[in-house]
Amino acid sequence: MKNYIFLKSFPFILLFINLAFAQNNPFSQSKFVPDISLIIDASYFHHNLKNHEYEELIIPGISHKHFNEDESHNHATVQKGFNFNYGELYISSIVDPFFDLTGVFHLSRSGFEIEEGYFITRKLPLGFQLKGGKFYSGFGKINEQHQHIWDFVDQPLVYKSFFGPEGLNEVGLQLNWIAPTNFFLNFGFEILEGENESSFGKTGFNTETITVEPIELPNLYIGYLKSSLDIDNFTGLLQLSGASGKSRLNHGIESTIDADAISANTKIFGISLTGKYLVDPIRSLTLQTEYLYRITQGNKYTRDSTGIQLYDLKKYQSGIYAQIIYKFAQRWRFGIRYEFLNNNSIKLDGIEKEQPSFLPRYSTMIDFNPTEFSRIRLQYSYDRSRYSFEEDIFAVKDIHQIMLQINLSIGAHGAHPF
Amino acid sequence: MKYLNWIFIYIILLFNANSKEINIITTYQYMANIVENIGGDRVKVTALANSKWNPHTIVPKPSFIAKMRTADLLIINGAQLEIGWLPQLIRQANNPKIQFESVGFLDLSKFVSLIEIPKEVSRALGDVHPEGNPHYYLDYMNIFPIAEAIKNKLIELYPENQEYFLDNFNRFKNKLNEKIKIWETNLIKLKGTKVIEYHKIFDYFIKRCEMSLAGTLEPLPGIPPSSRHIKEVEKLINQENIKFILQDVYNPDDAAKYLSKKYNIKLLILPHDVGATNDAYDIFSLFDSIIDRLTND
Repeated sequence: MKNYIFLKSFPFILLFINLAFAQNNPFSQSKFVPDISLIIDASYFHHNLKNHEYEELIIPGISHKHFNEDESHNHATVQKGFNFNYGELYISSIVDPFFDLTGVFHLSRSGFEIEEGYFITRKLPLGFQLKGGKFYSGFGKINEQHQHIWDFVDQPLVYKSFFGPEGLNEVGLQLNWIAPTNFFLNFGFEILEGENESSFGKTGFNTETITVEPIELPNLYIGYLKSSLDIDNFTGLLQLSGASGKSRLNHGIESTIDADAISANTKIFGISLTGKYLVDPIRSLTLQTEYLYRITQGNKYTRDSTGIQLYDLKKYQSGIYAQIIYKFAQRWRFGIRYEFLNNNSIKLDGIEKEQPSFLPRYSTMIDFNPTEFSRIRLQYSYDRSRYSFEEDIFAVKDIHQIMLQINLSIGAHGAHPF
Repeated sequence: MKYLNWIFIYIILLFNANSKEINIITTYQYMANIVENIGGDRVKVTALANSKWNPHTIVPKPSFIAKMRTADLLIINGAQLEIGWLPQLIRQANNPKIQFESVGFLDLSKFVSLIEIPKEVSRALGDVHPEGNPHYYLDYMNIFPIAEAIKNKLIELYPENQEYFLDNFNRFKNKLNEKIKIWETNLIKLKGTKVIEYHKIFDYFIKRCEMSLAGTLEPLPGIPPSSRHIKEVEKLINQENIKFILQDVYNPDDAAKYLSKKYNIKLLILPHDVGATNDAYDIFSLFDSIIDRLTND
């Protein structure tokens, strides 16, 4: 009963505090409130398989089972029916004359985590800017974009395959430089921890016969170059990216039979092209395509009943997506995306692993944006990248997916880059 | 070897292209024209936004970043007209000179008094600008404080050119005064004229020449006309004597055309910025062409 009275009077207490302190308090700091915004994303999802069937599927050479599952994270839509995909809390402000600070918090039904927390400098001379903390790497085009401004419900297959559902999000430093040229020319260099488990890792392991030391220094180096060109109402943006780091990954080799571990070097190269044509003040056509190529070379260790086996490991994998978005009315956009993973080559001791090497996926979407703060999107995907794997035989599954998504944002949210 | 020399020279030129000149960037074209009038040949000024496009939703092209990277002065309209596209560009331009607290940053909205400051700020009311209507430069009397602020800023940054800027400013002011005399004699007959506009963009002009705004085709700022809202506007047209429908160059004009045809009300497509129409090639002809269209019966 006491609690109830407290709850009932709580709004009045708040109001009282507000009136008593915010306006008259000589020490009020309410003018310093940073930009705060909340984004909520929910969807209805359907596909032609049973949920458990779908979860058992793998992408050959890329993922093990449960690729779609995200444990606490739940970045991706997985279950048939209604999904609460995520909430995103964004807080940003100027710290002082020298720094900007941004925090992005990813909220799921089961967790609250720091998606990004980084500073950028405001006063470095000669066109330099330093960024530090936890942030999305400047590698490629789509990696830096937050989920709510993606043009499709889900990220491209090649990004999810090489960087996982969270993308290339790392702790470290970025230095970027804008050249004082008449056209846009931007170089960036990043030193990152390199703990993205889909491609990079630092953990060592220790078994009865083999010891691989953990890496105790930043492990991932990334460089990129962006340049842009305007011709009348057309704007083109080209980006070249490269990432190099060590992959020390352990899936329980110390004790589990059939478990494996990797100690290798991984390089990923990317080329991204974006072209936007402004047809008139309302309509625009945007083409975006990215090609990523990954090379992994090193050792693979597996445990079988006799002990630890060592193989020479060479992986050459690549993927591409290409999408066209046509904004055909003030509030309507239509898009198609074609993507595939190819060149899916894995060699153990020089022997090519037999597995499917061309994994395509087709998507189309239409979205309605009542204002810039709300979006309702319908997407259909035809997925031929997922396989069942039983008794050493890969069998492709035809997956038809339908997604109806709503994305809403409130509060003060910064403008988005090109 | 020959080629290498050329490449070397090219690189030198590339990097020194803007280093000597006073390099000014404005967000919109009308400001660039005022800067040209005052700065003359001692400054180089570039406007970012194409005036044929919606000023609220300019596409933030990477080339804007390159331009802002080498800018000595960034001049903005302010009152949140650029909120949807500029802040991120300032962050990306890596130029300490044009941060908002720096001397190389000028927000012109601070020098005029804004109208239509909303009592309530909520996105339920559409794209409201909490500080007031940002299209203040369409009142020609506001060009005086704008030009003065630009003159003062140029003198503050480059005191060695003080006389030059002051001369140009006085010449500009005199020309504007002469123009206003002509405009105002033409505008007398518009007093009390009732108009409808698509978006609340010409309000300052409407207020200045004492016309009255009966309604807008947008139900709320930034929300395109719905058939239900158009019915409301039709009711209004039946009740009041509407003389013009004012339409900007970037929003769809189908609703305006429909109403214009059905009720035989003159539809005027007015430039909202320098360059929006071909006859609005500078700040004076911007008002010339607006007034011409309104007074040429």
